[in-house]
Amino acid sequence: MPWNEPGGGDKDPWGKGKSSGNSNGKPTGSATDNIEDITRKMNEKLGGLFGKKKTGSDGSGNGGPSAAALGGIGAVILIGWLATGFYTIDAAENGVEFRFGAFNKITEPGLHWKFPKPIDSVEKVNIDKQRKVEDRMHMLTQDENIIDLQVTAHYKIKSIKDYLFNVYLPDLESNQQRGTIFQVMRSALREVAGKNTLDSILTENRSLIGTETLKGMQTVLDKYGSGLEVVKVNLDDAAVPKEVKQAFDDVNKAQEDLVRYKHEAEAYAEAVVPVAEGKASRLLEAAEAYKSQIISKAEGDASRFSQLMAEYQKAPDVTRNRLYLETIEEVYQNSTKVMVDTKSGNNLLYLPLNQLGNDNSKEKSSDFNPITSGAVEALRNQREQQQKVRSSNTRSGVREGR
Amino acid sequence: MKNIIIIIVALIAVFFATFTYTVDERETAIKLKFNEIVETDIKPGLHFKLPMVNSIRKFPTLILTLDAKPDDFLTNKKKSLVVDFFVKWRIANVSDFYRATQGNLSRAQNRLESIMKDGLRNEFSTRTIHEAITGERGEIMDSMRDKAAETAARLGIEIIDTRVSMIDFPPTATLSVYARMESERIRVAQEFRSKGKAAGEKIRAVADREATIIEANAYRDAEKLRGEGDAKSANVSASAFQKDAEFYAFYRSLSAYRKSLGKSGDIMVVEPDADFFKYFKNQSGQ
Repeated sequence: MPWNEPGGGDKDPWGKGKSSGNSNGKPTGSATDNIEDITRKMNEKLGGLFGKKKTGSDGSGNGGPSAAALGGIGAVILIGWLATGFYTIDAAENGVEFRFGAFNKITEPGLHWKFPKPIDSVEKVNIDKQRKVEDRMHMLTQDENIIDLQVTAHYKIKSIKDYLFNVYLPDLESNQQRGTIFQVMRSALREVAGKNTLDSILTENRSLIGTETLKGMQTVLDKYGSGLEVVKVNLDDAAVPKEVKQAFDDVNKAQEDLVRYKHEAEAYAEAVVPVAEGKASRLLEAAEAYKSQIISKAEGDASRFSQLMAEYQKAPDVTRNRLYLETIEEVYQNSTKVMVDTKSGNNLLYLPLNQLGNDNSKEKSSDFNPITSGAVEALRNQREQQQKVRSSNTRSGVREGR
Repeated sequence: MKNIIIIIVALIAVFFATFTYTVDERETAIKLKFNEIVETDIKPGLHFKLPMVNSIRKFPTLILTLDAKPDDFLTNKKKSLVVDFFVKWRIANVSDFYRATQGNLSRAQNRLESIMKDGLRNEFSTRTIHEAITGERGEIMDSMRDKAAETAARLGIEIIDTRVSMIDFPPTATLSVYARMESERIRVAQEFRSKGKAAGEKIRAVADREATIIEANAYRDAEKLRGEGDAKSANVSASAFQKDAEFYAFYRSLSAYRKSLGKSGDIMVVEPDADFFKYFKNQSGQ
C-alpha cells in the first residue's frame, strides 16, 4: 500500500521523549485498502485525545491539592502523549506529514516531531530505492507472429507528492500485477512489439525495444502524474515460442550451412586453382626444357656434321666409302641375314621365318642360309611388310625421343 | 470535582467524535443532510458536522484503474481477437457520481466497463487484424476514450486514459499462427541452404574456369616455346646441312640405318649384288 499508517507511537514506552524518540514512528506496516476506515478510526481517536489535552490544561489551572494531583497526572499524560510525536526518517526515505488528513509537509531524513497521533500522521516512502517490475509473456508482432518477451523495468520515485496523491496504486511491490506501472509497461511493450516485425525484434531492433518501451511508459506515467520515473527497461529475453523453436533453430542451422557450403567450395577452389597453376608451371618448364634440348641437339648435330663435312670435302671418296662400310658393318653385325642370289640358283626358296625369329639367340652367329630363288616373290612381299612395320616403329620412336 | 472533570473530558471527547470529521488528502467528501447533498468538494482536513442530521460520504480523488477481463472482439473480417484493456478514470464530479451510482465504486466500474466494451466492439469491427495489432492501437484507444467521455461524464467520471494491455489471437488461431510461422521458417531455411549451395557451385565453377584457363594458357605458352625450339633447331640444321645436301643425305641415311637396323633379332634378306658385297664374290670387285 502506498500509505502506511505510523501506528508505533501508541505503543511507546513511558519516558523522556528525546531518549525514546528513536524508536518512535517506525512504520508498523499496518495498511488497509479502505481509506474510509482509516479516517473513521482517526476521527474517533481524535475526539478522545483532544479531550485529554483539555483535561491537562484544566488541571493545571485549578488550585486544590487533589486538583494539583490530578493536574500532575494530567501533565504526565500530556508529556507522554506529546513524546509519541517523535519519529525518524531513514537516509533513503522521505516522510510526508498529514494534519487531520490534509497534506502538511515533506520531511527529510533525520529526527522530527509532529503533533501526536490523532492530529498529525506521517507516511514514509523509500525514495532512493530502485524498484522494478518484471513481466514475461507472448505477444503479437507487426507481422502477426507470436513472440515471447521478458522485460524488467527499473524505476524510482521522482516526486513523492505525485506518487502519493495522484494515482491509486502507482506500483505495488508485493503484487506487481496490480500496480499501475505494471499495466503501463505491458501496454507499452505490446505496442512496441506491434510496431516491429518478429525478425527485427530478434535481431537488429532488439536493443531498441527497451528504449522504446521506456519512452512509451514514461509518457503515460507522466500523463497520469504518477510521480514515477522509469530509469531503464531491459529486454531480458526475446525468443520465439517453444512450439516453433525447432523451425527457428533450423533457420540458424541453415544460415550456418550456407556459410559452410561456401567454405567447402572455397576449399575446393583453393585445391583446384593452385593445382592448375602447378600443372601450368610443369607444362611451361617442360616446354622450356624441350626447346633448349632440341636447339642444343640441332646445334650439336649441325656442328658434328659441319666438322665431318670439312674432312669429307678433303677426301670425299675415301671418307664416303669408309662411312658406308662402317655403318653397314655395324648393321649386319647383330642381325640375322639371309642372302638371296636372285640371278643364279633355284626358284625354290624355303625360309623358316618363325624358327629364325624365335631362335635367333642360338643362331646369333648369323649363318648364311643359301636360299634358292624360287620363292623370291613371296619373300619380297614379306620383306616389304616388315619394313613398313619397322619404319612406323622407328618413326614413333623418334617422336618419343623428342 | 474529579467526577466533573471526567464528565467534561468525556463530553469533549464525544463532541469531537460526533461533531468533526477529517478528509484525507487523497479524498474528497460530500455532506448530506437527510440524504440530500448540501456540500460537495469538501477539501482535506478537519471539518464539522451535525450528528444525526449530516452524513458524510468520502470518495477517492486518485486516478483509479478499471482492469477489464480479457474478452473476444471481432474485427471487420469476423476474425476474433482476445483483447485485454484497462481504463484509468477518476471521479470528476462527486455529486453527479453520487447520484448516478449511489457512491458505489464497483457499480461505477461495471457501468464503465460495459460502456468501454461497447465502444471497443465498434472500433474493432471497422478494422482489420493488422490495423488493430499495429499502428492503430493508440488511435482505437483515443477514439474510444473520446466517445465514452460523454457517457462517462454523466456518471461524474472523467476518463483519463484507456490502454490495450493485450491483443492476442484466440487459442485455436494461435495454433495456426504457429503453423504459419513454422512453414515460413522452413521456407527461409531452405532459401539459405539453396543460396549456400548456389554460392558454392558458383565458387567451384569459377575455380574450375580459372584452372582450365590457367592450364590452357600454359599449354599455349608451352607450345609456343616448343615451336620456337623446333624453328630454331630447323634453322640451325638447315643452315649447316645446306652446305652439302648430297653428303647430308648420305650421312643422314647412314645414321638412320644404324639406328633402325641391325638390332639383334632382325632378319635381313640381302642380295649379294649390293655395294657391300662388292668384294664378296671376287677380289677385284668386278
